[in-house]
Amino acid sequence: MSLIVGVSDMKVSDDTEATLVTYSLGSCIGVAIYDAVARVGGLLHYMLPESSLDPEKAKKNPFMFADTGIPALFKAAYKLGAKKQRMKVIVAGGAEILDQKGVFNIGKRNDAAIRKMLHRNNVIIDYNDVGGVVNRTIKLAVNNGDTWIKVSGKGEKKI
Amino acid sequence: MSDIKSIIKGIDKLKPIPQVASKVMSIARDPESSMSDLSKVIVFDTAVTANLLKVANSAYFGLHDKVDSVHQAIVHLGMDQVVDLVVISASSENLKSAQEGYDLNAGDLWKYSVSSALIARELAEKKEANEINLIFTAALLKDIGKVILNQYVKDSFDKINALVTEQNFTFREAEKKVIGIDHAELGGMVAENWDFSPQMVEIIRNHHLPQKSSISEFESSIVYIADTICMMMGIGVGSDGLAYRFHQEVVERLSLSDRDFQKVISGFCEKLEQVYSMIRI
Repeated sequence: MSLIVGVSDMKVSDDTEATLVTYSLGSCIGVAIYDAVARVGGLLHYMLPESSLDPEKAKKNPFMFADTGIPALFKAAYKLGAKKQRMKVIVAGGAEILDQKGVFNIGKRNDAAIRKMLHRNNVIIDYNDVGGVVNRTIKLAVNNGDTWIKVSGKGEKKI
Repeated sequence: MSDIKSIIKGIDKLKPIPQVASKVMSIARDPESSMSDLSKVIVFDTAVTANLLKVANSAYFGLHDKVDSVHQAIVHLGMDQVVDLVVISASSENLKSAQEGYDLNAGDLWKYSVSSALIARELAEKKEANEINLIFTAALLKDIGKVILNQYVKDSFDKINALVTEQNFTFREAEKKVIGIDHAELGGMVAENWDFSPQMVEIIRNHHLPQKSSISEFESSIVYIADTICMMMGIGVGSDGLAYRFHQEVVERLSLSDRDFQKVISGFCEKLEQVYSMIRI
């Protein structure tokens, strides 16, 4: 069963039949987390780095932003029994348009936001497939934590 | 290199754009035209009328009263918006199908086209553009060339991809180099074939801003930025990825900041489900 995580959306699951998937990330970031002991998985698809852009929107939908979405993802997984120290973390997306520099490079800023946040919380990123000009889709099987990243036009690889 | 003539012949395989679309576009260009001129043209096309009413009543517009005539739709939504909806309704046939060469599933190109058009409209309003309908329609149809070029991109994908990944080509430049024509150029030809205005032809041909535009620079820039924002949001992005050039000088000329980009992204994101359900109607 596929549980689709939309744009600015997050889902966690302990249903071992479920596969979490989020499509077409562009400059957005997909964060997949998995605790193999609790067999709990979660997937977040955020679009922008900082909720200070619009605190009202962040309140309504914390999954739009890195700084509100990432804590919400981890907390939701903890509720299902996952533990921080066992969490495997996979990050995908954050693509950029050619020559997109500085503040306009939202993909890079999205990537920097998660690195900073996880580093500060002593969480290691186990696998990272970000940047470049390619479009990615990420999929996580709740059963065993298997994760796939599909690059548009170039097929899917298991990681 | 493929035979350009036979690629161009592919234009004939597109479904012709319904007459009503061209008529409402010329009404939109005419400052003298009235609500009843617009209404008269639309009611003759029953399919477009039915679709217009469904869309006008969709959650996207959130109207309190139910709209059950073209006239009421114009009163509630305004002429500009109704023109846009007629053009949307008239364009869906060509843009809904899957484009395997670009790794786009059925509906992807359609969502992309409508999203680009809505974002272009928002930017055009923000920048107080005069020709909002022109900008909207050009953004909606900018990738019509992909529908024709799709098969050729599929056949030559490895060569195109090699230029993008190894030689810093944009995907459009690589299409041109490998196939001999690119999707924007071809889209301009489609617009010409459909007797669209010279401005429309130019904006579609120029929507990646390969060079300075001569007659519709401002409008092309708006469409270009709407397209850029869609790509960043991952809307309609396929095998071409985000491999197009970012022109910061264009963004700065329009006095748009990164914050403006993010505001458009977050605002559009909130409407996304409503937009998608509106165009599925």
